[in-house]
Amino acid sequence: MSKKYGVYICKGCGIGDALDIEAICDVVEEEALPCKTHDFLCSEQGVDFIKKDMEENGTNTLIIAACSRRVNYNTFKFDGCIVERVNLREGVAWSHPRDEFPRLTEEEKQDEENFDRVQMMAEDYLRMGMARVEKVKLSEPYLLETMSRKILVMGGGITGMSAALDAADAGYDVTIVEKEAQMGGNAAKWRKQLPIQPPYEELIPSMVSEKIKSVEDHPKIDIRTGTVVARIAGQPGDFTVTLKKPGEKIEFDVPYPLPPEMRVDENGKELEHEALMEKYREYNEGRRDILTLDPNGEKVGAVVLAAGWRPYEPGDDEFPHLGWGASPDVVTNYQFEEMASAGKITRPSDGREAKNVVFVQSPGNGTDSDFPYTGVVTSMVALKQAQYVREDYEDGKAYIFYQHMRTSGLAENFYNSAQQDPGIFMSKGEITSVEKTGNGLSVTAKDTLLGENIGVNADLVVLGTGMLPVTYDNPTVNLAYRQGPGFRDNDIFDQYADSNFICFPYETQRTGIYAAGAIRRALSVEESMQDASGAALKSIQCLESVNRGISVHPRSGDMSYPDFFFQRCTQCKRCTDECPFGAIDDDEKGTPKPNPTRCRRCGTCMGACPERIINFADYSIDTIGSQIKSIEVPSEDDYDEPPLRILGLVCENDAYPAMDVMGLHQKSFSADVRIIPVRCLGSVNVIWIKDALSQGLDGVFLLGCRQGDDYQCHFVRGSELANIRMQKIGDALSSLALEEERVAQYEVAIDDYDNIPGIINSFVEQIEELGPNPFKGF
Amino acid sequence: MADKYLVQPDIEFINELRATGGESLKSCFQCATCSVACPIAPDRKPFPRKEMIAASWGLKDKLLSNPDIWLCHNCGDCTAQCPRGAKPGDVLAAIRMKAIKEYARPKFVADAINKGKHLPLLLILPAVIFIVIGLLTGFLDFTPERVHGEIVQAEFFSQWLVDIVFVPLSIWVVVIFAMGLKRFMDDIHKNAVAEGKTDKQTIDTKGFLAALVRVIPAILKHSRFSECSENNDRATPHMMVLFSFIALFIVTAVFFITLYVFGIHGPYSQLHPVKILANVGGIVLIIGAALLMKQRMDKTDEVSTYKDWYLLWLVLGLGVTGMLTELLRLADAAFLTYLIYFIHLMLAFHLVAFLPFSKLAHLVYRTVAMAYNEYSGRESSNA
Repeated sequence: MSKKYGVYICKGCGIGDALDIEAICDVVEEEALPCKTHDFLCSEQGVDFIKKDMEENGTNTLIIAACSRRVNYNTFKFDGCIVERVNLREGVAWSHPRDEFPRLTEEEKQDEENFDRVQMMAEDYLRMGMARVEKVKLSEPYLLETMSRKILVMGGGITGMSAALDAADAGYDVTIVEKEAQMGGNAAKWRKQLPIQPPYEELIPSMVSEKIKSVEDHPKIDIRTGTVVARIAGQPGDFTVTLKKPGEKIEFDVPYPLPPEMRVDENGKELEHEALMEKYREYNEGRRDILTLDPNGEKVGAVVLAAGWRPYEPGDDEFPHLGWGASPDVVTNYQFEEMASAGKITRPSDGREAKNVVFVQSPGNGTDSDFPYTGVVTSMVALKQAQYVREDYEDGKAYIFYQHMRTSGLAENFYNSAQQDPGIFMSKGEITSVEKTGNGLSVTAKDTLLGENIGVNADLVVLGTGMLPVTYDNPTVNLAYRQGPGFRDNDIFDQYADSNFICFPYETQRTGIYAAGAIRRALSVEESMQDASGAALKSIQCLESVNRGISVHPRSGDMSYPDFFFQRCTQCKRCTDECPFGAIDDDEKGTPKPNPTRCRRCGTCMGACPERIINFADYSIDTIGSQIKSIEVPSEDDYDEPPLRILGLVCENDAYPAMDVMGLHQKSFSADVRIIPVRCLGSVNVIWIKDALSQGLDGVFLLGCRQGDDYQCHFVRGSELANIRMQKIGDALSSLALEEERVAQYEVAIDDYDNIPGIINSFVEQIEELGPNPFKGF
Repeated sequence: MADKYLVQPDIEFINELRATGGESLKSCFQCATCSVACPIAPDRKPFPRKEMIAASWGLKDKLLSNPDIWLCHNCGDCTAQCPRGAKPGDVLAAIRMKAIKEYARPKFVADAINKGKHLPLLLILPAVIFIVIGLLTGFLDFTPERVHGEIVQAEFFSQWLVDIVFVPLSIWVVVIFAMGLKRFMDDIHKNAVAEGKTDKQTIDTKGFLAALVRVIPAILKHSRFSECSENNDRATPHMMVLFSFIALFIVTAVFFITLYVFGIHGPYSQLHPVKILANVGGIVLIIGAALLMKQRMDKTDEVSTYKDWYLLWLVLGLGVTGMLTELLRLADAAFLTYLIYFIHLMLAFHLVAFLPFSKLAHLVYRTVAMAYNEYSGRESSNA
């Protein structure tokens, strides 16, 4: 595309009052670009003004200097055009009010030693905008040669069946894979089920058989019982799935990456590539490499992972104070349910009627947490099972001791109705001991609502144990990905198949694989069904994005994708290793093999690549690098006391919006700072920082999301990787005799608008103390 | 591990409370709004939250012997503010009724009195007793003569007959109360010691009586009752009823003494001071009872059960029949006045005979519990 540039400056919203627009136009015209101004650019007249110019002059590369790119997005979206938004409103005018940053008086203007920091800022932003559009290209969509629109549902329980029905009803072909010979999963084993609709008061018969019938009758659903997934190879829209019988060993079983201890020699040194490959082949004897596609494999486009859970079985000596292991009359809620569904509730020890049953929701021992792998559902199950006791015996008594009675939303009604039963007794409290007595069990609890230590004589004690996701035991999805068959970093989610619980439900760390139900979190049937709908919709979104060549999430609709310049690749594998989503595989030699539809377009690979061969059409080493280079760095040649120049690379997911809000609230920060939004701190390549410092900028800070176990990074590892890279750059800086403190990384959240000015200004103060960059002016 | 309390929930007890006005008791979610809202709960171990929890657990042993259920005046502030609609005030009323039944002997009388289906039988009972004894002794004269041309009730229903029935009845009531109170006092003291509501180890009679003397003025003044905000307007009519009963008790006592000591018969002149007291007492009783009934009818968010209506109708009936007897006598309607007088005595029989078994027993239990609370030092000591 041959670019025809046009610069449009809006004078509305206080921009025209705060800035000398003519002077800005001079900057534009210095670059020989046409500069046009308008009083109200986002109005109908304003947009027509731009469109008219496009028609008359064939302008297709627009630099719109107005408000933040986060507002009026659709107003300034012109198909087939490159649009750069220069943020003069939130970024300059609003965040640098003139009462704090006075403009120069006519008298001051006479002296060339005086300068207007805010005006300089606006002019730099124009330069940066122009520099960027010169380098960007229009994105071309990545389209698969062949594409499957089928959805694979792993798991034939209530979640899997619900997801299958939702997807099939929306018109998609679905294959359900169930490892057992029967459909239905765990929920098929219940005596009764928790309510799923208002008024949420009564237990209902299990919905499983009804669901099985609907699934079996659905023409778009193909059911494979007694089947498991051996491997899923390829990428969203074009997965090749190998199915097998449970326990079978086949050549298309997924290979595993070498465990860390096998990757090193006796001295702990990382092995050479060849040696590693040799070991890898040995380790995966009899299994084909991930890049070898099963010729008989089935094609699917997206996967709903609803493989469910298994009951948590306490270890032999895990809860001795609760009588676990000491008496057969201490059982888990799962065992109790099996007993209840088989018939009347009796004591396992002697088969006598169990009329007094104590339900324990928290193991106690000084903590108030529930049993591991529990949630709302275990509270609900206790309320359900207490009712079984009352159903079976008119004089039955069920006691529930809890630290948390979790009945969210309308489930509160269910608690209310259970509470009305005269034979159900509930108290917050900690169970201190369960002991065998002559005829049954003696339960002691402290810190109860009754205000004293209490004892209860029980026939049966039921522990409210949790639901272990099947991903606890094995990867289950068996992805033929170089990073391994399961989800990465699942430890921080206690092995639940999850990515970021609150922000991105259903999305796992692998694009195209959507988790639902108890594999994601301990859930009730109702919640699992809601989850199933979410995951089914997510998988449909995936298919409907992949077929357009756009990113699924979180950068939904992004058409760009990483482009590798392989001639210069050194096979260092950093991109393969660091991609948070396992989007990149590598071949025998270690050359990366990108899978664009697995990619989430965060740019972590671009930030990782030491050779800088990975770039996006509209976001590259060069686009950002040119923006940095276009910042004017005043030196002592220009002024006796030149202002500092500090670069801020700001994550556009949370930090940049927070800065917009900061502008909206007129919270000001130093006008010597230049902000460049980045897709993720993970995409920050250290070359930008080196370049910035070597051209005389005095400091660089990175503003991004929280990292660690409670990370808020949209791309899981971005801020963490940036942090590692910034630590390494510190060494490089000291070798250049530059202070490490000139580079810093800060974590903020999207609601931190109030704190960001303080963060930025204290960084600026720190740089002021260090003094100007000695490279300035070279 | 310190001592523990063995929980033994009584499902029957829960069901009974729920059937007698405490239907909502299981709705409590222990937020303690009730104990905060209650204007008269002591700072140390306040009620009614702990009673609500014990009730929902069916802990009969913790409730019936609990003096706190009697400190409650059912003013309804807790019920009005309960976010869960658990109506603690009504639950405590049901517990009190259960306690009355528990301490009164024989038990079947209490059971009979507090169930509506036995009412017709119970109404006839005094009539049968009066007629049988009256006919056997001849103290009931169906063709009474006038004395100096005036109607004299005693000519129809001999004073001897009244006393043959009512004097033993009163003794019976005192004995029943004495027996019940003995157990009651032991129980509430044990409970208070167990729950740390008192520092006293034993009940010393002198100290207790002194405490009783100290609380009587408060009871008469209804100073506790008046602290309620929700049912504040119930305090005055309740005081009217109490004072009119006291007045009428004095009147009865005076007439009894003058009859047996001085041999003076009624009817008295309307200007006689005792007669004036009687008339004023009767009128105040009617007004007080009627107001209480109206307030109960207006308060639809609080539960009014059979025990409440039985007592209120009884009180109103006593007042109305008492005044009517007198008016009809003055109006010279002989048959009607005799009939109404007969009914009046039937109602009086109910009031006296069933005193230890009906809601009216609160007169005794609450007084004792308040005196005990005063004695226990719970209010004055630091929590």
